[in-house]
Amino acid sequence: MSLFLASAGFGLVTAAVLAIAAVGFTMQFAVTDVLNLAYGAVMIASAFVAYAVNQAGASVWLGALAAVAAGSAGSVLLNLGIYTPFRRRGSAPVTMVIVSLGMTLIIEFGLQAIVGGTSVSYTMGQGPTLKAGGLVLTAVQLVIIGLSVVVMGAVHALLRYSKLGKAMRATAANRSLARACGVRTDRIVTLTWALTGALCGLAGTVFAMNNGSFGATSADLFLVVILAAVFLGGPGQAYGAMAGAVIVGLATEISAAYLTPSYKDVVAFGVLLVVMAARPGGVLGAVA
Amino acid sequence: MSSAQLFYAINLLVYAGVDIIACLGLSQQFGVAGVTNFGFIIFQAAGAYTAAALSLPASSANGGFQSYLGGWNLPWPIPWIAAAAAGGLVALPFAFLVGRRLRGDFAAVGLLVTAVMANLLVTNYRPLLNGSAGLSLVPAPLQGEYDPQGQGYQWLYAAGTLVLAAAAFWLVRRVTESPYGRSLRAMRDNDMVADALGKNLLALRAAMLVLGGALAGLSGAILVGFINLWAPSAWGYAETIVLFAAVIIGGAGNHRGAVLGAILVPVGFEEATRYIPPFGPPGLVEDLQWVAIGLLIVVFLWFRPQGILPERRRLTGGADGATGRLVTRSAPSTAGSADGGVMLRTADLTRDFGGVRAVAGVSIEVRRGTLTGLIGPNGAGKSTLLALLAGTLPASAGQVVYAGTDVTALPAYRRARLGLVRTFQLASEFKRLTVMENLLSAVPAHRGDSLTGALRGRRYWRADEEAATARARALLERFGLSRYADTYAGDLSGGQRRLTEIMRALMTEPSLLLLDEPMAGVHPRLAREIGGQLLGLCAEGMTILMVEHELAIMDEFCDPVIVMAEGTVLASGTMATLRARTDVVEAYLAG
Repeated sequence: MSLFLASAGFGLVTAAVLAIAAVGFTMQFAVTDVLNLAYGAVMIASAFVAYAVNQAGASVWLGALAAVAAGSAGSVLLNLGIYTPFRRRGSAPVTMVIVSLGMTLIIEFGLQAIVGGTSVSYTMGQGPTLKAGGLVLTAVQLVIIGLSVVVMGAVHALLRYSKLGKAMRATAANRSLARACGVRTDRIVTLTWALTGALCGLAGTVFAMNNGSFGATSADLFLVVILAAVFLGGPGQAYGAMAGAVIVGLATEISAAYLTPSYKDVVAFGVLLVVMAARPGGVLGAVA
Repeated sequence: MSSAQLFYAINLLVYAGVDIIACLGLSQQFGVAGVTNFGFIIFQAAGAYTAAALSLPASSANGGFQSYLGGWNLPWPIPWIAAAAAGGLVALPFAFLVGRRLRGDFAAVGLLVTAVMANLLVTNYRPLLNGSAGLSLVPAPLQGEYDPQGQGYQWLYAAGTLVLAAAAFWLVRRVTESPYGRSLRAMRDNDMVADALGKNLLALRAAMLVLGGALAGLSGAILVGFINLWAPSAWGYAETIVLFAAVIIGGAGNHRGAVLGAILVPVGFEEATRYIPPFGPPGLVEDLQWVAIGLLIVVFLWFRPQGILPERRRLTGGADGATGRLVTRSAPSTAGSADGGVMLRTADLTRDFGGVRAVAGVSIEVRRGTLTGLIGPNGAGKSTLLALLAGTLPASAGQVVYAGTDVTALPAYRRARLGLVRTFQLASEFKRLTVMENLLSAVPAHRGDSLTGALRGRRYWRADEEAATARARALLERFGLSRYADTYAGDLSGGQRRLTEIMRALMTEPSLLLLDEPMAGVHPRLAREIGGQLLGLCAEGMTILMVEHELAIMDEFCDPVIVMAEGTVLASGTMATLRARTDVVEAYLAG
């Protein structure tokens, strides 16, 4: 039982990191119809921005802010510089995925050329360890969970109550119709990339914190987990991605406790393939 | 040449041969059939591991420091043949991913993560294939009889590899330059339309996965027989991207391009970097190499998406004025007797999209030999009804009975093969096929339109091809498009595309043709001409159900006419009677 609770604690942290990442990924897909495989590479690049700030002597939380800014700016550039021109030309979705894979190589190995192939860690204290009813979490892990809850609340408020959120949903549902209704879709798409890029930067930093050490290619496997959460929730569905993140996060960590930890991502992979084969529209999408 | 240089030259030849075989497999899948297999490297790995496991002696006899499955010490060429078979067999289950109606990019991502995971599993689970250390001391073919280090052996190995590469080229060319290859290219350009024309997408894609997988497996066997070791680091998911870069740069859809790409990218590019003096910290050159591969892909897709050697246009030669009959299919025998001249009947046909009921309990009859019209305001459910009749969309409830047979559960391609064929409202030509190829792609029961038929060669299917070409020429003549026979369909004007689509549907020899706004965007004079042609076809025994907005066309050509509004049938009859009904006029005619 204590093993279960301990792993459930890890699962909650993973789910928190995953939720931030998956919501960003799925919203990019919703408005642009691009499965941006370079998402993981942008995450790690942002985590390294936080690392640079941290190395300069500042707190890692200040670094996280810099990572958010970097992820946001980088994603907007990626969309405006690469994806939008290809999309304007009418490139097929498959071509876009190939392009995003090419961008993954460029960003990831370009980063590795700069930072080198060894792993690094943030300089930070983990804070006091808190125990409650079998759950054991460090203060940092609690902060990550709290951050994630706040971010999900903010995304909910944005989509539900703000004009921007409505415009984003309209653009996602039918871009040309939204434009015909007076939504400035190009601006909405750019704003969406700025917002989701910020989520991507934050996700990268908390992923790096939670991992302990990280290198330029550390997000390769995590991208599989993100995809599993996104597809479980239905691609393009923000609420689905949140639910998918909780399920996949808990499932991978709890199974890691009972199986070998090196196979924990295989659970996410299994989820992804089963969902793709059986319900490509997502399992949770219709409910959420 | 010193012996070191000679050894290097032999190395390059073997690598070139291996990469050419792999790129040809990928070119067949991605360039010809449009299957974006981001997991291609798995199948090369499957072949390499199979060849290794079969040719290695039992693990204890090999020093006992490795653990692996197999170890049967089988003589060459069994391990190579088994490797090709393994590559194909391992690929087969993925048909469920690419063959279903899963978006091509989703399937590609599914295959990519499969490659990542397969590598992770083999790396971490040592008993299977010796984990991350991989298999070493893999015997070279016939190493008991000959000395693998000898120069004669090495030359023979290189020559044999190139012979197999040539054989692979011959194989994929034979498949591609056949009616079957034309179907593959049609599927690549627009899979939904190919489905509606009677192509079994699942079977086509599964066959391409297996063929490409077998070639990948063979390439892996050749490689492992030469370098004598195989480990997870040799088949990271990114290696697939290198092969994709090769095929894209060389020219997807052109097998010569795949050969060129294989020589330029995996061989040329990676070897060239050996001559750069090392600089920077260790690993920097490799990192920059990956960056360059990424850049090559993005830059080529932007500036020259067709590659260095674009897919060439297949010409059929000048028109020779041959004539052929337009309709040769005899009507299904059960029809006349069982259903009293009713060609198509629906009962309470319904389709829901989420909460919206687009088609709500439609029951109609279409009688043989009629040109039946279907009108209604936008959003009335006309196109959805057509999709339900043709099987493009599954029905939520209700029944479709065609020629006395309940076809409700049949997929689109099966209905098309029974003679129930549709066209689409949006442009649906196969863009990178010529007009003639578009027409020929629709021919049913062509001897060359199967993998075995294609492999048996031109002689086996030439007669069918000539008959089909004659029929296509006659159609082109009848619709006045003869001089566009060798033009890419993607380069036609809007009206010409509609005509091409109608002609293509006619090439299937349909008994019942479903036309979705065939005259939209067509010059009015031409529209009337088409109407006349359609009436002529009905007089020859065909039945047509046509969605159209232009009431003048309905007045002139269609009888009876069915009126739909809000998912239901409002009325049917001649246009004259419909114009007399106030509810119809209010719902549609006046608005």
